[in-house]
Parts: sequence; structure tokens; C-alpha cells
Amino acid sequence: MAKGKDSAVAGYIIIALILGVITYVEFAIVEYPQEWLGRNWTMFWLIALSVVKFLMVVMYFMHLKGDDSTYTGFFSSGMFITMATFIGLTAMFILPRSVAATKPDNVQAGHATHDVPPDVMELVESDGFSRTPAARADSPRPADRSVRIAPPLAGNDASTYELNLPEPLTATDSDATTADGGDAAEAADAEAGTDTAAADTSSDTADTAGDAEAADAAAEETAEGPSEDAESVSLTWDTEMGASVYNMNCVACHQGSGQGIPGAFPPLADHAADVYAAGGETYLIDVMLYGLQGAIQVNGTTYNGLMPAWGQFSDEQVANVLNHVVTNWNEPPADFVPYQADDVAAERDKGLSAQDVHDLREQLGL
Amino acid sequence: MNSQPAIPVETEHQPYRSAKLPDVKLLMWVFLASDTMLFGSLIGTYLAYRQRSLVGPLPVDVFDIPLTTVSTFVLLMSSFLMVLALHAIRQNDLPKFRLWTAGVAIFGSIFLGFQIYEFVHFVNMGLTIKTNLFGTTFFVLTGTHGVHVTVGVIWLVSLIMASYIRPMSAKDAVYVEIAGLYWHFVDIVWIVIFTVIYLVEFV
Repeated sequence: MAKGKDSAVAGYIIIALILGVITYVEFAIVEYPQEWLGRNWTMFWLIALSVVKFLMVVMYFMHLKGDDSTYTGFFSSGMFITMATFIGLTAMFILPRSVAATKPDNVQAGHATHDVPPDVMELVESDGFSRTPAARADSPRPADRSVRIAPPLAGNDASTYELNLPEPLTATDSDATTADGGDAAEAADAEAGTDTAAADTSSDTADTAGDAEAADAAAEETAEGPSEDAESVSLTWDTEMGASVYNMNCVACHQGSGQGIPGAFPPLADHAADVYAAGGETYLIDVMLYGLQGAIQVNGTTYNGLMPAWGQFSDEQVANVLNHVVTNWNEPPADFVPYQADDVAAERDKGLSAQDVHDLREQLGL
Repeated sequence: MNSQPAIPVETEHQPYRSAKLPDVKLLMWVFLASDTMLFGSLIGTYLAYRQRSLVGPLPVDVFDIPLTTVSTFVLLMSSFLMVLALHAIRQNDLPKFRLWTAGVAIFGSIFLGFQIYEFVHFVNMGLTIKTNLFGTTFFVLTGTHGVHVTVGVIWLVSLIMASYIRPMSAKDAVYVEIAGLYWHFVDIVWIVIFTVIYLVEFV
């Protein structure tokens, strides 16, 4: 320290004053937002000011400026590795999502709890799945994915589903379940899962043999089904089923309000109707059956999550939940014709991937 | 055969630079470099999971910017007192060294008090470490920082106590200096946390 005693202390005081002023400025531009500064520039200045603070403390309080360069070398190496880790994390997790996400105060915290039955909320909160850990241990997913387990529908009267099985099943013999997962077999499997779960909730629904038997039973029932329902093409739908499928499976991400989570899960309220109005009737079915992967823009916010495929649902369930989603939080689109199970069945043999669905969305100009 | 030696030999004219550096100080800088990586990954994890919580409370529900600004200011000023303490011991001014160092420890304790108040407040609002992704990453990050501050306070108090057992002079300054380096490091970590975790939520 070549400086005299007083000049060194004076230097420290000046640094401390600057640090204090910078902290106040940071506080001020956040607490009293300046319109003319804009969101991005506010962010820029916040980061720039904290970098200045960081460097001032390192250089003058930790005396790295003017000290032996070996120290700087060691510390810089650490900082370099840290920044590399940081950039890697950013590239993997943060960049894919919008940097300019909407203000988080759009999120209504805990809103979902108002609309969802408490038992469902409990399940969703417990592990993000709609099943209790015990239930999942009882019936784990089979390694063989051609055998599908029905979505959990605990709490629902399964009989309502049996009554609503109009889709014509082409293959009704037991060979279908052992074949390479034909559409009809899958649909039958899905219903079979519901059947067995309703019959005895403690029974092992993953048991393939049991599944196959039940599938036969379900297939026979549905074979008779269309003769009763086929003539009546109504413009109404099973609102109860639509709401319950939504609340069981969709609500964790898209929320009870249909608002989603800004930056993470896109909103459905208004948006689903817009997509429908933009000519996306079949696209919406495809999202349900095949999922959606890739960045999308909704109301100026980018979302890059993964919508899982819900092909294990019956045609009826897919149709009803889509009707629910398109109409529940907004006026139905002007040309809205409720989805029917047949509409869904027609999309089943397309065999799209989640990326293909993303391409379809781009073709719609969304 | 290559006649040149593979490893350069230290000569009298070009000694390794580190040979004249105090070991403890070098060790402290190496530790700080590694600690940077620890905090870097914790902050990175927090940001990776930012806005991915499915249930509240969310940052905007619980953060109190004026309160955190005050505690940030307290921590910055403790860094200022720390350089004064180092300056005093280099001038062989033991009473002033004790005064400033005690000031640092007190300011650090005030900061910890703010943090304890904040944690209790958050828990009362329903945010615990297992409520959501925000709670988990936030408490792990700021908790780790709080542990660092606590260690720093204990270190500084033990320095003051040591100065009573065996009076310190300018030649012991390096032991104050490394405690100071650690303290300033804890301060700069908080500078980053204050901006990246707290302020940006309200931009």
C-alpha cells in the first residue's frame, strides 16, 4: 500500500458510498418502475449495476486489483468454470423458455384449489401424479408399453363411461389384445382398465391376463353400443365427463382457471377457442392423441414444454375434454360444432409424432 | 532422442511466483474459486426451475423488496467495516481493529436476523422447503448463503477473542486478510442473489 493512511481510508469510504448509492438505485428502479426505461433495459441496468458492485468489491475491498496476479488467476478460473456451468444450464433449461415471460402476477396462486375436488388436489400435490404412491406401487406401469393402463378415474362412477361408448370397434375378438396394439384394442384396453378399477379398486390392473379378459368384455359391450346411439348425432356432449377428465388429468399444468402457468404451461382459456376458430379442429384432436413438442407462442409468451400424448383415453373422453376446453372459459367459437367420438377415431390412425403436431400448428399460422 | 528436458526447470532467475505468496492467502483464493462454483450451480438451479412451481406461494407473493434492500445494505456496509479493520491491523492499531471487526460481526448478525425473520415470515405464508420448486431452490440457496454468513461471524468473533489472548500486530495481518476475503466473498454472492433472485421478479 503505497498510499498514505488517510487516502486509503478515503478511498474505502468513496467505494462504500458508491456501493450504497448503486444499491439504492437498483431498489428504486424496481420499486418505482420507469415506463421510459422499458422492461428489457431495466433488466439490463440491474445486471450491469450488480456486476459493477461485484467488481468494485473484488477489486478494491478484496484488493485483487494490484495484488499478485496468481490470486486473480485462481479466482478467474473458478469464475470461468462457474460461468460455463451457468451458460450450460441456461442453454438447457432457461433459453428454451421465454426470456420475456409475462409478469408473474398474472399467475393466480393456488387458484386451482377452488375448482378441483380436494381429493384430486391432494393427489396432484402429493407427487404431481393423479395417483397415490400406494396405488402406483400396486399397479406399476408395465414394461411392455403395448399394454396400456387406463388413466386414473377414481371417484368417478365408471358406469357413466360404459354408457358412453359409441365408437365402433372393428376388432372385437381376443386376438386384438395380443396383436401389435391396434387402435380398437387400445381403446378397449383403456375401458377395461376402468372396468377392473371400478369392480375392485384393490385388484391389480396391471395384470395383463386380467386386462385381456376385461378387454373382451368391454369389446363385447361396445359392439352392441353403436346400434343404440348411432342415429342420434346431437350437438350436446357429456359436460360432466369433459370436466372430470380435465380435472383429473389436465388441471395440474393448465390450472383450474385454464390460465396455465406463464412461461411453463400455455393457457387454454380463449386460446383453445382461437385455435379452433383458426381452423384447428383436427389439430386440437392431434394434440390430445399425439402430444405436442416444440416452442409455441401464446399471447406473446413462448412456451417450450412437452404436452404428453393422451391416446390411452377413449374417443369419447378425448371428444368431451376437448369440448370442455374449447367452451368452458370463453364463448364457444362462432362455427363451433362439438367434437364427437367419431371425429377422434378418424384421427387415430394418423400415427403422428409430437413434432409432427408442432408442424401442424405452424401450418395453421399460430 | 530429444535432448531438451520435458519439464522446465526452475532457475534462480525465474522462480515460481507463488513461492513468495503466503500459503493461507493462496489457499483462501482457491477455496473462494471453488465456492464460486457451489453458489453458481445453486443460483443456476434456482433459475432453471424459476416459474415452474405448480402451486403457490410464488416469489411475488412473499418477497419484500424494501426489507431485503435494507439487509443488502447492511451486508455491504459490513464489508466496508471489514476493510477498515484490515487497514487498522496493518497500522498496528489494535483497538480500532477490534472495534471495526466487532462492527462487521454485529452487521453480519443483523443480516442473519433479517434472514431468520424472512424465513419465518415465508413459512407462516405457507412456503416451506417442500411446498414447491421455488421453496426448495430458494431455501437451499439462501440457506447455504446464511450458513456462510454464520461461519463468517464465528470466524470474526474468534479473531477478536484471539487478539485478547495474544495481541495481534501488523505481521498477523494476513490472518485478518483471509477472514476479510471470505467475508467480502459472502457479500458479493449476496450482491448476485439480491439482483438475480429478488429484484428481477418485480421487473
